Amino acid sequence: MLQPFESKETRDKPYIIFDPQNNRFEIKGNSLPEDSTLFYKPVIEWIIEYAKNPNETTHLICSLEYFNSSSAKMMYELFIELEKIKDTENEVKITWYYDPEDNLIEEKGLEFQSILEIPFNVLEKKS
Amino acid sequence: MDINTTFWFFDRIKEDNLCMLYSGNFSDEITNKLIELSEYNINNIDALSKMKKKASFLMAECFQNIVRHGEKYKEVPSDGFFLTKNWGGVYYITSGNLIEKQKIENLKTQLEKVNSLSKDELKMLYREVLENSEISEKGGAGLGLIEMARKSGQKLDYLFKNKNDNFSYFYNQIMLKSDIDALNQKVSDFPLTDSISYHKKMVDENIMLIHKGDFSQDSIFPVLKIIEENLHKEFKDSTQKKKIFHILVELLQNISRHCYKIGDKKEGIFLIGNSDSNFVINTGNLIKNKNIKSFTKLLDEINSLNRKELKNLYLSKLRDRNLPNNGGAGIGLIDIARRIISPLNYHFHPIDDEKSFFTINVIA
Repeated sequence: MLQPFESKETRDKPYIIFDPQNNRFEIKGNSLPEDSTLFYKPVIEWIIEYAKNPNETTHLICSLEYFNSSSAKMMYELFIELEKIKDTENEVKITWYYDPEDNLIEEKGLEFQSILEIPFNVLEKKS
Repeated sequence: MDINTTFWFFDRIKEDNLCMLYSGNFSDEITNKLIELSEYNINNIDALSKMKKKASFLMAECFQNIVRHGEKYKEVPSDGFFLTKNWGGVYYITSGNLIEKQKIENLKTQLEKVNSLSKDELKMLYREVLENSEISEKGGAGLGLIEMARKSGQKLDYLFKNKNDNFSYFYNQIMLKSDIDALNQKVSDFPLTDSISYHKKMVDENIMLIHKGDFSQDSIFPVLKIIEENLHKEFKDSTQKKKIFHILVELLQNISRHCYKIGDKKEGIFLIGNSDSNFVINTGNLIKNKNIKSFTKLLDEINSLNRKELKNLYLSKLRDRNLPNNGGAGIGLIDIARRIISPLNYHFHPIDDEKSFFTINVIA
């Protein structure tokens, strides 16, 4: 099985944990690296590997506070790779959390929902 | 503040390695971030890094003066002013705060006394004030002034400027000379009156923060923090705060990605202020003349679209996997345009055959 992927949270990078053994997939925090391609490249490469032989169900939780537009582009790439899990007869879904007062993150979630072909729930965070 | 304000400041501070101006409230959080930003700037310039400790100390001293006086006059909006700049081998620190007119004479006496003393006499006076609690209680500022004169090794440069019937601004400017430059470079001369004219412009046009210098990622964070602190007071609505934050990040990162690089430096200027209940953000940077045409085309295209069309363009760029990321795609600008009141206001100011000054102005 693929080794888990973990990336520590910094002031401009999100916390990422992809752990197939424990079936835990999560991205949270801020994402505004100046070079998002550099940061997301290994993340997406891991997903490409994983999507070849995924768990029966994969549930990615996104609870971002802020991300810049170049991160948005890389997240789209990531979601597209995740979408390919559907072709393997396994299940995949994404839940996108936003703060009740945070219209920007809610709107960004709805935008992703509108352009992806993957079950994509946009939910208010319960405090 | 309108689009011309960017060049007004840029033209006056273009020779500066760095320049930061702040006009507004001085909370501890804001002063800490102003120091952090200044320290970052100092670290980036080799000739200055040696004086970092001294500069930080002097900045803190200036802030204490502003804060101490600010607390006394709660009935007036605390409008303080702070400037740091590096130009021609000299690091300048300027501060301004309101003072009750009846207290000017006493402060003047203190300033004149400090300026009349030699290095050794200052040291003696410092000890005397420290040991005599009565003196230090009466005027904490006295000790600060002595320390400023001692640490900078210069006479205190100061001016009082009328604000209204009851208050005047007290301005104070410190010069720190770097070792290397003092030997072989012409020392720049930046009169205090210039700082004061910048402050006036900031007050008249409601400008909170101006930063000219390096726009690498590390310098963006203290800038964002200063703005966030101010936004915190201005808005209870977190959606508005998030929107301003988002626009700032995109514009600042655009400078970093697209500006004309001088050496390793990603230089630009950034201004933020208020207009009615909105925020006004200006950025400016040098760009190569050969890029003007394509850039104009992109900006005009964005400005010709309505919100719905902008959203569609944004989504199509998001989905277009052939587009280069990190610049070129204009996705950041498109997303900004979706969230601002007026179109993206922009202007190119010719500099020479190779480059122009590009400035953008948004209201959100």
